[in-house]
Amino acid sequence: MMSLARQFGGKTKLNTSNLPQVSDPEKAYADITREDYENYLKDFRGFEERLIAARDDTSLIDQAREDALKQSEIAGQIQQRNVERYGGAGLSMVQRQEQQRALQRGGQLNLAGGLNNALIQQREINQKTLADLINIGQGVNRSSLQGLGDASAMAANREAAYKNAKAQHSANMMGMGAGLASAAIIAFGI
Amino acid sequence: MSSKPKKQEYQATESEKISASVSKAEKDYFNQTYGPLLKEMRDISEKEELGGLARGRAQADTMQALTATPTLTATRGVDTAADLASAAAAQQIQGSGQALASQRERQIGVLGTARGQAAEAQAGLARAAKISSTKQLEEARAKQTIRQARSNALKQVGGALAEQGQKNLQSYPTGNQQADQPGFLGRLFTPYQDPRTQNTQADD
Repeated sequence: MMSLARQFGGKTKLNTSNLPQVSDPEKAYADITREDYENYLKDFRGFEERLIAARDDTSLIDQAREDALKQSEIAGQIQQRNVERYGGAGLSMVQRQEQQRALQRGGQLNLAGGLNNALIQQREINQKTLADLINIGQGVNRSSLQGLGDASAMAANREAAYKNAKAQHSANMMGMGAGLASAAIIAFGI
Repeated sequence: MSSKPKKQEYQATESEKISASVSKAEKDYFNQTYGPLLKEMRDISEKEELGGLARGRAQADTMQALTATPTLTATRGVDTAADLASAAAAQQIQGSGQALASQRERQIGVLGTARGQAAEAQAGLARAAKISSTKQLEEARAKQTIRQARSNALKQVGGALAEQGQKNLQSYPTGNQQADQPGFLGRLFTPYQDPRTQNTQADD
């Protein structure tokens, strides 16, 4: 076996003396193809199914509801701290109440507007996911059809070769029979 | 007459054998080295919390923009808190949306690679770091700026008025107020005019 030792950085030694022996490339190729597909099923089929299911995801919309309420609460607390920081900020009770009402109104508007925005974004992301999945699916379809086409063409070629060989064999046998018959006629002077 | 075909004449050449061996070795190496990497990427794409990062960043952006310097003007504003809540909620949606989009792109990349297609280079973190400002945040920021500018302008005008008023008041002679002198507001807005100078000017 050819030995091509190479040294990288004085540490790693790589050589070709331990290359795997491939006595039957066709079988090796068949084994690798099968193994690759089994690995794909084991490692990625579940992932693929989860991703396909994610085209109906609603996590953004669900999150938007929580966000609107949470952010109103945070803003109210900030407002309260600032009012305390400025010793009441010279606000009358009526002004404070109006601030509270404005915050409540804003909260409701946030909820409505936030849900609408989240809906649009969610739809956009889901549709992009769907489009990307379709692209991948097209690739899968194309390669599987190509594989089947190759297998079918090879089967057809084999079939044709078999018929040709049979025809050739018949022709040979007939030729041989005719030759033998001719030789017999000549030999026996029939 | 030609001789019978020999089996050994149809065997693979040395170069073919080496080529097949190298290919097999490369394939094994790929399976051992890159296979686990793709599985790692698969796990990252499913489990990585890009959303938390993006939402945290979005919240920080909002709070830095709108609450970094608390002012009395903003505190007294009726709709300040409502604007803040609106901007923050919109930024949160924006952050969540971009994180989800990044996650999906990465997952699609992994699946595409697993399915034998080239994966697109993904930059989920970079995308999360570039959360664009939402309309609500810009509006709230602009509103706050206007409110602050108005307050500053009022302060400037008030300051100038007070300064000039003080000068006007100081221009009047101290001591007993003369009968012909204007009242406090009059003195505040009108500088002292010496009656003698006024008379001279009238004579001229």
